[in-house]
Amino acid sequence: MLAVDTWLPTEMPEYAKGFMYMLGSLTASSFVVLVVSGILLAMNGPAAWSHNPAMRFVAATHFWAVQAFFFFMMLHLWRVFLTGAWRGGRRLTWLLGAAAFLVAIPTAFTGFLINGDLYSQWNAVQAKDGLNAMGLAWVNLTNAGQMLGLHVAVLPLTLSVLIGLHITLVRLKGVVPPYPDTKAPSPPRKGHS
Amino acid sequence: MSAPADVTRDYALVPEDFVKHLVSTLVVVVAVVLLASLLFSLPEKPPLTIKEYATMHPVSFELMALRALDGTGDIANYGPPYNHGQGSVESPLQRQVGIIHPINAQSDFILKPVGMASEINPSVKGTLTRFETADARRRSGWESSYGPALSKGTYVHGSVLTSKGKFGPVPALLNDTLHLAQSGLMSGALIRNPAVITRFNNQNYLLFLQGAPLQTNPATQAMAGPNWGLIHPAINGYPGAWWMTIPTWIYQWPFVAAARASDALALSLGLLFWLTLALTPWIPGWNRLPRYLGIYRVIWRSFYRK
Repeated sequence: MLAVDTWLPTEMPEYAKGFMYMLGSLTASSFVVLVVSGILLAMNGPAAWSHNPAMRFVAATHFWAVQAFFFFMMLHLWRVFLTGAWRGGRRLTWLLGAAAFLVAIPTAFTGFLINGDLYSQWNAVQAKDGLNAMGLAWVNLTNAGQMLGLHVAVLPLTLSVLIGLHITLVRLKGVVPPYPDTKAPSPPRKGHS
Repeated sequence: MSAPADVTRDYALVPEDFVKHLVSTLVVVVAVVLLASLLFSLPEKPPLTIKEYATMHPVSFELMALRALDGTGDIANYGPPYNHGQGSVESPLQRQVGIIHPINAQSDFILKPVGMASEINPSVKGTLTRFETADARRRSGWESSYGPALSKGTYVHGSVLTSKGKFGPVPALLNDTLHLAQSGLMSGALIRNPAVITRFNNQNYLLFLQGAPLQTNPATQAMAGPNWGLIHPAINGYPGAWWMTIPTWIYQWPFVAAARASDALALSLGLLFWLTLALTPWIPGWNRLPRYLGIYRVIWRSFYRK
């Protein structure tokens, strides 16, 4: 199923139609835009946006892609929660998605910290107390070099692995079928096993 | 495993063009992102620099420098990971980590930068030597008696003037610090690591301004914790980190807001929320909530209609 020829399915269950079933792909597409704009930013250095109009535009696309990523991820989360998407042997798929959500938060945050504006300055000194209190002082939010490394390498790579495994499991297990219709049992139709 | 009865097997498969599906979601995201970038660009607010603060608020700057000097400042008395202070120790875990980013506020924030300035302005040297050669009791006497006088100080012809008193070299030392800050060279003096030529670690620069200068800055008030600041941007009208709404909400709970360990408490409780979400499939009752809610019937309405 994971071979190049069969990686993309050619048919889908009839219930997996419409906007609700585009939210995961919209989240993944936002991640692709983040990676591409992020590579352009990394190639030019974290402060290039402050003196180069072209890089300022790329930084803007990176900012709005983060908003899109979390927006679609949140809608996707609501959809999978409200449809009980962990049923039928899909618990690990759910867990990986939740882990990706958790890792996405510091990934975005470290990006905001290396921007170098008032928002970076304020949040670095405000958030340090929480990390220090939790025994995580080795994550030094006021060290821009450490934040850059976390933001462009460690965290996005971790996130890519989590998202990759999550999508692989979705492909292997398929999208969760509806709850059995106990209110109005439908007559037998073409079954799927 | 979930009970088989949880999942219907009564459905058909229909053809799907997945390439079209993925291309269309990518096109939608690229279009939205490009449009937003063209229309709204970036929400950037200039940072607060040491030079700016020293120029705009010279008396407050010297009061802050005095707190670094006498050990009562936020960072001077913080505790681990910076020093042996007690002021910001929220948990045993914090103490256990130890001092891994050492800061001696008196020497790192004031005496070393002024010492560098004294190399290019020898008139500073006498003041500095007089302070550094005095014993701790004497220094402490000067500092504690200067505090009340400085709080009523005035800025005249480029220096802060106060009433007369037994302040030793402290007034001159603080004015030297002020002049260094106003020159714009203070940040360079704070970002120090003689072992390497790179300047990745700007910790002391950020921590130097982290107290009163940033906390009382009108531009940061909307981003302050009690004002749900965690999710607010620096510029009104732009989206902030709204995905942090739950931790921000926890910060507003009265017992969290009033706790000495409010950061540790809020983040731990936030993590509990996430754990509940992540472990949903394994939590009896909670994992059946979607079925009880019945919203799935709306999402799959065309399937159930058949």
